[in-house]
Amino acid sequence: MALSLQKGGNLSLDKVAPGLVEIMVGLGWDPRATDGAEFDLDASAFMLGANGKVTAESDFIFYNQKESVCKSVIHTGDNRTGAGDGDDESLVINLPKVPAHVEKIVFTVTIHDADARRQNFGQVGGAFIRVVNQQGGAELVRFDLAEDYATETAMEFAELYRHGGEWKFRAVGQGYAGGLKAMCARYGLNL
Amino acid sequence: MAVSLSKGGNVSLSKEAPGLTEVVVGLAWDARSTDGAEFDLDASVFVVGESGKVLNDGSFIFYNNKKSPCGNVEHMGDNRSGAGDGDDEQVNVKLSGLAADVKRLVFAVTIHEAEARKQSFGQVSNAAIRVLNKADGKELARFDLSEDSALETAMVFGELYRNGDEWKFKAIGQGFAGGLGPLASSYGVNLG
Repeated sequence: MALSLQKGGNLSLDKVAPGLVEIMVGLGWDPRATDGAEFDLDASAFMLGANGKVTAESDFIFYNQKESVCKSVIHTGDNRTGAGDGDDESLVINLPKVPAHVEKIVFTVTIHDADARRQNFGQVGGAFIRVVNQQGGAELVRFDLAEDYATETAMEFAELYRHGGEWKFRAVGQGYAGGLKAMCARYGLNL
Repeated sequence: MAVSLSKGGNVSLSKEAPGLTEVVVGLAWDARSTDGAEFDLDASVFVVGESGKVLNDGSFIFYNNKKSPCGNVEHMGDNRSGAGDGDDEQVNVKLSGLAADVKRLVFAVTIHEAEARKQSFGQVSNAAIRVLNKADGKELARFDLSEDSALETAMVFGELYRNGDEWKFKAIGQGFAGGLGPLASSYGVNLG
């Protein structure tokens, strides 16, 4: 039975699912605008070290770089319109395979070509992130974004992080008005 | 060796630092890197007597009342964003100078305008409050706000209390709904 997190809240995945190995992190949304350019939202993940930055460009997992070097994080593919119910994009994480130096994996969503298309997250509704136990398919935790992020074009939905020997999940829901570029810079990636 | 406390944890300062005379309560957090209102955390201290209430209105030490009447409790200044390394706010307490009627010192941390800004400690990165022995800079106790007070907006961290000749520290780590105003009122502060 999934726990619904509030913004800022956290949960121990190892406690709710002892022996957890593989999870699917699913992101979904309903674009609200109907005319104009397609809403192409892209899920991605940043694998961060203790200093809160990536170690290499290969630590940024997205539609053009779908697998981490260690194969512990795999992006399952690009959805360019948001069509379809449920998860629009997802990443599969094999927890024991995540390299020891990776302390945190941040799950983010960006609007492709946001500036050119004049789109922002204020136009996106029903956004959520959830974690599913691949073994058995149970939904472990969910975070529904409720606010209107009208100035942001890149968003951190949630993060998976190590704490006290466990894997924990935190609902973030914070964005960057500066978009993908600002977000990447924050994580040590110069685009 | 610092004791890292989780909710309800406890530490005996007399064991950690015998003969303790002065402490610094340090509050630290990362400045916001995402979009939105700054995270403005505020440290405060209630100098409490036998009644469980402050001895006088001047005994509520916070950013707008930085020094206790006796001068032994001093807030070193308001940090409104968390910018800067190390402790972002500090309160100095000279335990040895405190009058006999001071029974407890209660330390609290609140988020300024939490309700209006819709913020809680879990949204802030690396927020923590700690007690240091001023004499040698050693950290005696610490509480991870981001992790363990995720949905709170105001928190009573712990209290220093007299035990005969010594001062001991009891960790409380309990959230308080309503913010600094109601928290201060609960310790008997008259807010004008």
